[in-house]
Amino acid sequence: MQNISLLLIVCVPAIGAFLLPLIGRLNRGLRNGLAFIFVLCSCLLSFSLLPCVLSGKVIEIAKYLPLGFNFILVADSLAVFMACVSSAISAVILLFSWDYISHYDNQNEYYSMVVLFLGAMMGLVFSANLILMYIFWEITAISSWRLIGFFRKKTDVLRADKAFLVTVFGSLLMLLGFVSIYQQTGSFDLSVIREYFRHNPLSAVTAALILAGIFSKSATLPFHTWLPDAGVAPSPVTALLHAAVLVKIGVYVYARLFIVNFPVSLLLCSIVPWIAGVSALVCGGAALIGTDFKRIVAYSTISQIGFIFLGLSLGTEIGVFGGLLYILMHGIAKAGLFLCAGIVEQNAGSKDITKLGGLFKVMPLTAVSFLFCVFSVMGIPPFGGFFSKYMVFSALVGNGNQMLTFIFLIGAILTILYLARLFMLVFTGELRIAAKREGSSLMVASVVILALACLAGGFFVGYPSKVVQSVVNQMLTQQ
Amino acid sequence: MLLSLLILIPLFSVLVLNLPPLLRRAKVSFYCALCFTLAQIALVFFCVFNPQSIVVNPFGSLLELDLSADSISFVVLLSIGITGFITLLVAKYFICEQQNEHNFVSVLFLALAGLNGIVLTSDIFTLYVFLEIAAAASFVLIVINRKKNALEAAFKYIVLSILATTMMLSSIALFLFIAGNTHFASIRAAFNYSSHDFLLILASGLFICGAFIKAGVVPFHGWLPEAYSESPAPVTVFLAGIVTKTLGIYTLIRIVNSVFGFLPAINNLLLFAGAVTITLGALGALAQNDFKRILAYSSISQIGYIVLALGSGTALGLSAALFHFFNHSIFKALLFVNSAATEAQTKTRNVEAMGGLQAKMPATAFTSVIASLSAAGVPPLAGFWSKLMIVIALVASGHPLYALVAVLASVLTLAYLLSLQRRVFFGTLNADCAQVVEARAGLVFAAVLLALITVGAGVFFPFVLNTFILPIEKIFAG
Repeated sequence: MQNISLLLIVCVPAIGAFLLPLIGRLNRGLRNGLAFIFVLCSCLLSFSLLPCVLSGKVIEIAKYLPLGFNFILVADSLAVFMACVSSAISAVILLFSWDYISHYDNQNEYYSMVVLFLGAMMGLVFSANLILMYIFWEITAISSWRLIGFFRKKTDVLRADKAFLVTVFGSLLMLLGFVSIYQQTGSFDLSVIREYFRHNPLSAVTAALILAGIFSKSATLPFHTWLPDAGVAPSPVTALLHAAVLVKIGVYVYARLFIVNFPVSLLLCSIVPWIAGVSALVCGGAALIGTDFKRIVAYSTISQIGFIFLGLSLGTEIGVFGGLLYILMHGIAKAGLFLCAGIVEQNAGSKDITKLGGLFKVMPLTAVSFLFCVFSVMGIPPFGGFFSKYMVFSALVGNGNQMLTFIFLIGAILTILYLARLFMLVFTGELRIAAKREGSSLMVASVVILALACLAGGFFVGYPSKVVQSVVNQMLTQQ
Repeated sequence: MLLSLLILIPLFSVLVLNLPPLLRRAKVSFYCALCFTLAQIALVFFCVFNPQSIVVNPFGSLLELDLSADSISFVVLLSIGITGFITLLVAKYFICEQQNEHNFVSVLFLALAGLNGIVLTSDIFTLYVFLEIAAAASFVLIVINRKKNALEAAFKYIVLSILATTMMLSSIALFLFIAGNTHFASIRAAFNYSSHDFLLILASGLFICGAFIKAGVVPFHGWLPEAYSESPAPVTVFLAGIVTKTLGIYTLIRIVNSVFGFLPAINNLLLFAGAVTITLGALGALAQNDFKRILAYSSISQIGYIVLALGSGTALGLSAALFHFFNHSIFKALLFVNSAATEAQTKTRNVEAMGGLQAKMPATAFTSVIASLSAAGVPPLAGFWSKLMIVIALVASGHPLYALVAVLASVLTLAYLLSLQRRVFFGTLNADCAQVVEARAGLVFAAVLLALITVGAGVFFPFVLNTFILPIEKIFAG
């Protein structure tokens, strides 16, 4: 029964995505509804697996294929946790796009690609074979390519190509890393690899190749430039890229490979936090001087991803705990920010924050929701983001590296500054653009849901913490 | 089953179809050819699933032909069948005049006989004869519409091809001198006992050079972009899909595997030539504005991958080379079908004059995305698996730097194909293309068929690997 749910979580969106364009030719309402149902189906099934995997059980589907390209799906608590976070956020984003996208061309492609995107994400989190993982990884690249170029103008399409090329460049290096692991261990299966690396070291070149892939996908320095440029995509897509799926893939694969499967190497523990630190600092600065609404939020993502990498790479229990909690809290809040940006962009007709202002009066609900999400990203109690940031910092202090602590402290202050500036310029002051109304009720409802989730994540932080704690326990015992 | 029929039927068809009662009956010859290609595909499947029933040549003493078939031959025969079928579908719209259509089919039959002969023979001189049949037929095919540019391109092709022929023929003469006859097995034996070391190296080098020219490997690629872009659309599909690859690459694979063996010197030569070809082909493709020229340079680059895979000198490398051979003939034929469709609708090959055609030609656009992604080695399409196997083979044989070249060139491949997509299909609709409609049904059918094969071979790769590709490892002669 649980095997079937596991298979369905991946297959329903992955196969359903190809039905949507056909259905869209018959009835657009049905297509939109089905797209939502596919995503919801993945989401509910993921949550239904949660109690089972938290009790320590591991669900596995395996089909052995020639040359070691095996089809193996494994649901452990880390995978299910990630699946729940991604699919829940995606469901809200999809609801938002019903209204947002309703007056543009190419809707069939849009829904098909969004659902395929989630399907690939689900496949990726559950796959326990490096090649299978790589396949899903590239499918997300294909769908993000089509989605970023959704508006089809020259710059849109160019930047879509840029995103595709940068991420594929990284992932091909990663593939080379995978092949050299195969060369070493004789298998692509994570279980075999884990056994092998209990007793053997991982070569630095291989680790660097795989890290290049991870960093390019999660837009960390020096592969970060595609992510701000991808802001030309429709807002729900950027929300999906930043919050729910794409950049989280890099973080997830880091956790999956470098924490659970590969040996802890000192080199890695010392270099990755520094890369994350520089990334957090540089992109925090870039966000502070930006004038494009979505670019600022995009730089903010890169900077926050630095915090997640920091937590995960410190190698301590509390660090991993903080990093995983950060994925959840940042995902919710960042999705909220981008969806608010989408409402502002559509109703005020501009993304340039120097031309916006005073929108609080016109769209109070959006403004309040935006504020909630901003507080969460800043890490202000009692919002959810506070707890995750606190945990990451306490792991960092426990690690005893003062320079690094200082860098991240500046990073955190920058976060507060640029988000406060963004909010002030857009929502307070004088109304300068003739924007008359709030977004449609469905769009506003989705951002309100996310904003409330930010708040609830703080008040009821016990529930996610319990889940994350058992995920961490399971990860560290597997190690 | 009688594999020799694959050579005999086309030869006799050429004769019969040109007898007075059937002369000028273009429809009859067209459907004959269509049926023949389908029969060839069916025959290959039959042989693969019933290996015990293979009787290559029952007329042995009658024909004096040394024929044999193994797993390598099946992959190539299958590619020939599929590409031939697609070529005929495309030809229906581009070879208009009735007499011309009849001539086209006759010459195509001749070319098919030559190609099948190359694949089935196990004698190096017979191989040469079939090579010339196929090459001569393809010169005629290029100029079948009697265009001036095509004539120029064909002339360039002939000149270089003659050079290749001379090299191959001298090499065969040397082998005959050393080994006493021209059968693969005797030459192979000569490598072990003969004292003519220098002559053997000379002969092998000459033959490999000849094969490189025929395959368009850098630095012998000069004729290829011209010939591909100036040929009529169906001929381009045929040339790019199968002719160049059988004449050059299959010959190379067969000779290296069955005659020379994977000597370190040969492997190094292949690796180096392959890496250079991949890179220069991809860079060349980046610089083009002509739809068909982009694809022609892309062909050069992809052929480099096959050579590189062969150069790894392992069983996995050999099967990866054949798998990429098959995949390339499918996705490149598909891309050329797409280029034929857009050329027919927009009357231009300049990609700058197109743009946003996705809105007008959705099926063509969608299939071309599939072909491009497969060419760039993006999963889960078929091209990904062959490239992955190539990379694994290179790493396993201790050539990580060549693996890196292969991987980085994939980024270049993706770059030029994305740029092609961006300028032709993706993006906003060009005002000149407002009146464009979807291509003719036959072209769409051909494109969809090839796209299905690409997706199917990618998704059901275990079947493809187990039935066609992995058996090749058994006949690896390292």
